[in-house]
Amino acid sequence: MAPEFAVGEYKAKVYSSLDELSQSEIVAVANGSGHASLHRPDGMVESRAMNDSLSSIPRAPELLELPPLASARKLADTMREELDVLLSGPIPKYTSEDTSLVVFGSLARGEWTSAGDLDWTYLIDGQANSDHLRIAQSIRKVLKENEEKFRAPGQTGTFGNMAFSHDVIHQIGGQADTNRNTTQRILLLLESAAIGKNTQAYERVIRGVINRYLEEDNHLLIEKETRYRVPRFLLNDIVRFWRTMAVDFASKQRDRAGEGWGLRNAKLRMSRKLIFASGLLVCFGCSLDSDLQKKISPEKSDRKLVLVNYIREQIRLTPLQILARAIEQYSVSKKIGDQLFEAYATFLSLLDDESSRGSLAKLRAEDSRTDSTFKRVREISQKFENGLDVLFFENSCLAPLTRKYGVF
Amino acid sequence: MRLMGFSTGALAKGDFRAALQILKETHVNAVELSALRQNELVPLVRELNELDLREFRYMSFHAPSVMDSDFEPTAIEALQDVYLRKWPIIVHPDALHDPSRWEPFGDLLCVENMDKRKPIGQTAAQLFKIFEVLPRASLCFDIGHARQVDPTMSESASILKCFKERLRQVHISEVNSESRHDPLSMESILAFQKVAHLIPESVPVIVESRVCKEEVIEEIQNARKALSFNNVLAIAGD
Repeated sequence: MAPEFAVGEYKAKVYSSLDELSQSEIVAVANGSGHASLHRPDGMVESRAMNDSLSSIPRAPELLELPPLASARKLADTMREELDVLLSGPIPKYTSEDTSLVVFGSLARGEWTSAGDLDWTYLIDGQANSDHLRIAQSIRKVLKENEEKFRAPGQTGTFGNMAFSHDVIHQIGGQADTNRNTTQRILLLLESAAIGKNTQAYERVIRGVINRYLEEDNHLLIEKETRYRVPRFLLNDIVRFWRTMAVDFASKQRDRAGEGWGLRNAKLRMSRKLIFASGLLVCFGCSLDSDLQKKISPEKSDRKLVLVNYIREQIRLTPLQILARAIEQYSVSKKIGDQLFEAYATFLSLLDDESSRGSLAKLRAEDSRTDSTFKRVREISQKFENGLDVLFFENSCLAPLTRKYGVF
Repeated sequence: MRLMGFSTGALAKGDFRAALQILKETHVNAVELSALRQNELVPLVRELNELDLREFRYMSFHAPSVMDSDFEPTAIEALQDVYLRKWPIIVHPDALHDPSRWEPFGDLLCVENMDKRKPIGQTAAQLFKIFEVLPRASLCFDIGHARQVDPTMSESASILKCFKERLRQVHISEVNSESRHDPLSMESILAFQKVAHLIPESVPVIVESRVCKEEVIEEIQNARKALSFNNVLAIAGD
C-alpha cells in the first residue's frame, strides 16, 4: 500500500535537518543494535540503560539544566541561526559542498553569553579557488559591521581566516604542524559547529581527521580482541593541545604585556580545561563503552570504520554534554556531579555579567591576589578542578586509564 | 562470479544502441539502460522490445536524474513497461516529486545514494528518511558518490550495514571533485576495498565510468579488483 505522503510532506521530511533522526541512531541500526536511540531535548543521546535505582547519581539532563547552562545553550543555537541569516543576505550561498563556515569557542560549545567572541574559520575541502579568499574577506567585513553582536576573534590569526583540509588532515605532528594548525584541528574535533545548511565539507574533514588518527595506531583492539584500545595518537594530540594552551597562556602574557590576563586565566581554568577533559572522556570511552565493544567486527577492515563513526558521534555532543554523560555512565556521585556543574554554571554567570567580565578583562597578573572577581574565579575553578580530580583519579572506570594514558 | 556490466549512459551519452553494441563486443553480463535526461525516457522505453539483450543476465533501468513535476506522471506511465519486465528502476531521490506515485513499483524502485551536490540522500541518516517515505524501495549503492561524501568510507560502511537488506545494485566509478564519473584510479580502488566485504557477491554491479570502447575490459577488471576483499592492503590495527 502506498504511504499517504503529500508532495510537500515528502520534501519536508527528506529535506529536513537531522534533528529528528540523529546519525547515532543510524549507526546504532547499522551496527546491529536493532533499535534507535532517542535524542533528548537537552541534546543528549539516550544510548544506554540508566541506573535509576541509584538515586544518589545525578542524571545528565538535570545537570545541563542548571541556570544559566540551558539558557546559554539556547542562546548559542539562536545566535548560530542569526549568524547564518546575517551572512546569507550580503553573501548568498557563502558556503558550498566544498566549503563550510565553522565556528569555535562558546558559540560552538553552546555556552554563549552576552559578550562572547566569535571565533570562526572558512574551511575549504575542495579544489583551490582564489575566490575563497574573497568570500572569507566578505564574511569578515559583514561580521565587522555587526561587531556589537559578534565580536571579532582574538589577535593570533588562528581564527577569522581560511583553513584548508589538507593541512588539517595531513599535518599532524612534525615540523609543518603549526600551533595554528594544531589548534584548528583539535578544536574542530572538540568544540566546533558548522553554520548554515552546507555542512558536507565540515563533516568530511572531521571524519578525515579522526580516520587519520586511527590509521596511525598500529592496533585498534586489545590483544584478546574483545575491546577497543584507547586511541593513543588522538589522545596524545589532545594532551599536547592542552599543554600548548597552557604554555601559550604564558607566551601571550609576555607578548601582550599582561593585557587581558584575567579573562584568559579564567578561561584556561574553566572552559579550556573542560575541552581537555571532554577529549579525554571521548578517548577513554572508546575502551569503556560497552555498546561499542558489542560492535567489534570479526572483519578486520570493519573495525576502524566503526570506530570512526563512534568517535564522530561522541564529538557531536558539546563538552558539557560529554561531561554530563560521563558522570551518568560512570556512576559518579551526585555530590561531584553537582560540584562540577555548579562551578561551571557560576563561571558562565560571571562571564555573562558585564561588570565581572570587564573587571577580568582589565585584570593584570600582579593584581590577581587582591581582586575580588578573580578571587571568585579561583574558588570556582578550584571546585571544578577538584571535581575533575575525583572523576579522573578516583572513579573505578576512569582512574586506571588516567594513570595508564594521562601522564606517562 | 559477480554480475558486472556498464551503464549505457557512461559509454555513449544518449545513444543506447551504440553503447549496447560496445557491450556485446566485450561480453559483459549486465547492463543498465540509462535515460538520464527526461527527453530520453519515452524513446528508450518504446525501443525496449526491439533491443537484443540476450547477452545480458541482469538488466536495470536508470530513470531521469532530474524531472519536471509535470513530467512525473508521464515518466511513471512509461516506466510501467520496465516494471513489467521486473527490472530494477534506479531513481535519484531528489528527482521524485510525489513519492506516493512511485511506491507501487515496490522493491523494484531502487533509490540511489547521492553525491555531495545533491541536497538529500547522501548519508545513512538521510536515506533512512527516504525509506520511511518509500518503505518497500530497494537501494542502489553508488560507492563513488559515497566516497565523495566521506573519503574515509565510514559513511559507506554505515549505509551498507544499515540497508543491507535493501541492497539491490551497486554503481561504481571514480566520482571526481566536480561530481563527474571518471575511470577508477588506484586511490578509489583502495578506498572501495575497505567496504568490499559488505557488498555480497550476489549483488550486481554497474560501472558508470566514462570510458571508450577500448577501455571497457580494463575498467571491468579494475571494478572487480576494487570490490574484491581478498586483496585489502594494510589495514590499520592488524
